[in-house]
Amino acid sequence: MIYDRNNLPEELLNLPASDFEALYQEDIKDEKFQTKPVGFFKDAAIRLTKSKVSIIAFIIIGIIIILAVVVPPLSPYGFNDQNISAKYLPPKMPIVEKLGIMDGTRVLKNRKVSGLSDTDRYPEGSIIEYFNVVTAKGQEMCDVRVDAYMLAGMPDGEYHWFGTDYLGRDLLTRLFKGARISLLIAFFSVLTNVFIGVVYGAISGYYGGKVDIILTHFAEVLDGMPYIVVTILFMILFGSGMVSIILALTITGWIGTSRLIRAQFYRFKGREYVLAARTLGVPDRTLIFRHILPNCVGPLITRAMIAIPGAIFSESFLAYLGLGIKPPNPSIGVLLSDGQSVLLQYPYQTVFPAILISVLMIAFNLFSNGLRDALDPTKRGEE
Amino acid sequence: MAESEYILEVKNLCQHFTSGRGRKKLTVKAVDDVTFSVRRAETFGLVGESGCGKTTTGRTVIRLYNPTSGQMLFDGRDIAGRMNRKLREYLTSNIAMIFQDPIESLNPKMTIEEIVGEGLKVRGNRNKEDIRRQVVQMLNKVGLVEEHATRYPHEFSGGQRQRIGIARAIITNPKMVIADEPVSALDVSVQAQVINLLNDLKEEMGLTILFIAHNLSVVKYFSDRIGVMYYGHLVEVAKGDDLYQKPLHPYTRALLSAIPEPNPLTERTRVRIDYVPERDHDYSLEHPSMVEVEPEHFVYCSPSELERYREIIQNA
Ligand SMILES: Nc1ncnc2c1ncn2[C@@H]1O[C@H](COP(=O)(O)OP(=O)(O)OP(=O)(O)O)[C@@H](O)[C@H]1O
Ligand SMILES: [Mg+2]
Repeated sequence: MIYDRNNLPEELLNLPASDFEALYQEDIKDEKFQTKPVGFFKDAAIRLTKSKVSIIAFIIIGIIIILAVVVPPLSPYGFNDQNISAKYLPPKMPIVEKLGIMDGTRVLKNRKVSGLSDTDRYPEGSIIEYFNVVTAKGQEMCDVRVDAYMLAGMPDGEYHWFGTDYLGRDLLTRLFKGARISLLIAFFSVLTNVFIGVVYGAISGYYGGKVDIILTHFAEVLDGMPYIVVTILFMILFGSGMVSIILALTITGWIGTSRLIRAQFYRFKGREYVLAARTLGVPDRTLIFRHILPNCVGPLITRAMIAIPGAIFSESFLAYLGLGIKPPNPSIGVLLSDGQSVLLQYPYQTVFPAILISVLMIAFNLFSNGLRDALDPTKRGEE
Repeated sequence: MAESEYILEVKNLCQHFTSGRGRKKLTVKAVDDVTFSVRRAETFGLVGESGCGKTTTGRTVIRLYNPTSGQMLFDGRDIAGRMNRKLREYLTSNIAMIFQDPIESLNPKMTIEEIVGEGLKVRGNRNKEDIRRQVVQMLNKVGLVEEHATRYPHEFSGGQRQRIGIARAIITNPKMVIADEPVSALDVSVQAQVINLLNDLKEEMGLTILFIAHNLSVVKYFSDRIGVMYYGHLVEVAKGDDLYQKPLHPYTRALLSAIPEPNPLTERTRVRIDYVPERDHDYSLEHPSMVEVEPEHFVYCSPSELERYREIIQNA
């Protein structure tokens, strides 16, 4: 109820002064936290491991990398061991061969039935079966499934899991040697791209103004040049080694990264905590690397991960144009390009590299998606 | 030269932001012709509605922005001139700033120890143990505990974060702290906590505080002198009591009339005054300027208004 000022009850008029003192003089003293501190990357790791797809993708990538490392040295065949008598051998793998696939056999079409008994051409036991017998121009013709290894005079126990190519080189060894080279090219080109992009974008975004205008326009001009032409010129100039392919992938590859970094810098350089650090006298270098750049780490890692399959693909693309790595070194792209020229006769030469590059790209994409979600600061702390 | 009474003197400060070029050029006069001085070890309150240029004033003083024109002296030394390393060093070691937004102003990727200790590190302290010791000491001072040093900002409440911001600002022993609405984002009980903390620190360290707020009730009991800002202009500067008892500028009156009264009887009859510059001033013939109407009481007014204000003071 509200009292009229003039007829307040007696006890309210003569309140002692002590009634108006604060009941407690609060001395602020906070409690310790009960929880454990969780750092940014630990938090991201926790969330990453919660995503099954990312883990599977990560395992696949890991397996491929391990194979790329261990297969070439452990394989009985060198990646460049040529053996003309063993050329074009189909895949033959122990155990799996019992299932009727990858058993080292091949179907030869339209052979004279009469010729099958010629043991000079078809050593004993090399013919598995013949079928589709037709009579044409008085000749009995058939298709015949032969053991290509025996036909080529290979000793028993010779296994080329993924077959051999036109020089009789073991394709398993070459495929993983190629994967190794492709991955190396991809990693290093992405690494250079990220490095150049970060420095360029950071300078452009942090300083802004005229510096930014000049740098941005330069990047745009570079970006506007036809990529293929520039790359070809580049390869002509520097030859087709691994380094020159990496550089070729770098010419314009860094521009995307630098744009990303520049945008992030524009976003973050005006943040209050950056200003706060400036009022403390923190030098530009520290502001760039300690305060602003860490905000870019998430998008940067994601972008780099996405760029890796892109780089592998670009390398294959260059190989198709005949601008691939210098022979006899293989890369996935070179193998694909070699394989597709004999695609109809020897499809296995294309199938295995194609499977590997597909799996690799899907795995990298899935993993980088998971990584992006895990590093997304807005998702922090969510279960 | 005798030490001046004032630690910070700001004269005719202008801060204009421009955007666009040529015909599309736009100028925002965020701070326009602002003059005030801050005494040693006093709390100077700067009040005004949102967007009137308080933050900009504070940031210009600490030189986050380059002033468009005007003079600024700190301890008698010019701080409005060309930025160079020496000036930066001088500024950063003498003036510190507490920011408006407790969430935004702490780097989410750094631990509290790194955030609070940064000022020491910048000043060349490489001794980790020593930094750690000072940080913990400072955290205790603002009511946090040692264990908090290894935590990240997102684990703290708004009030705690603001206290971390205070710790960061004062660990380097500045002479003056610019507190930009340090409590606006906090609820009332926490506001009192933070303001009391600032007050204690001020006494203990002999700090000068430039306290920015958007409502008068916050600065009321805390500031020795108060400046009222309106749209980039400082319209009235006076001692706290004078401003409450003898508000002269119509905008100050409007602001005061907006403070709710704790007494329900008077609150019911409280009349809000609104401020309409076009109606309240006629500056078509005369130009207004900052004039000292009575000792320590400055008003932005034209000569004829000055006459009127003098009368009011005499009758009071
Ligand atoms: N960097 C800038 N560029 C252009 N205009 C700006 C800039 N900073 C501030 N302004 C403008 O200057 C004016 C004053 O802004 P300021 O941030 O100083 O207000 P404020 O009094 O601190 O408000 P609040 O109480 O909301 O914090 C606003 O109109 C704002 O739009
Ligand atoms: Mg503000």
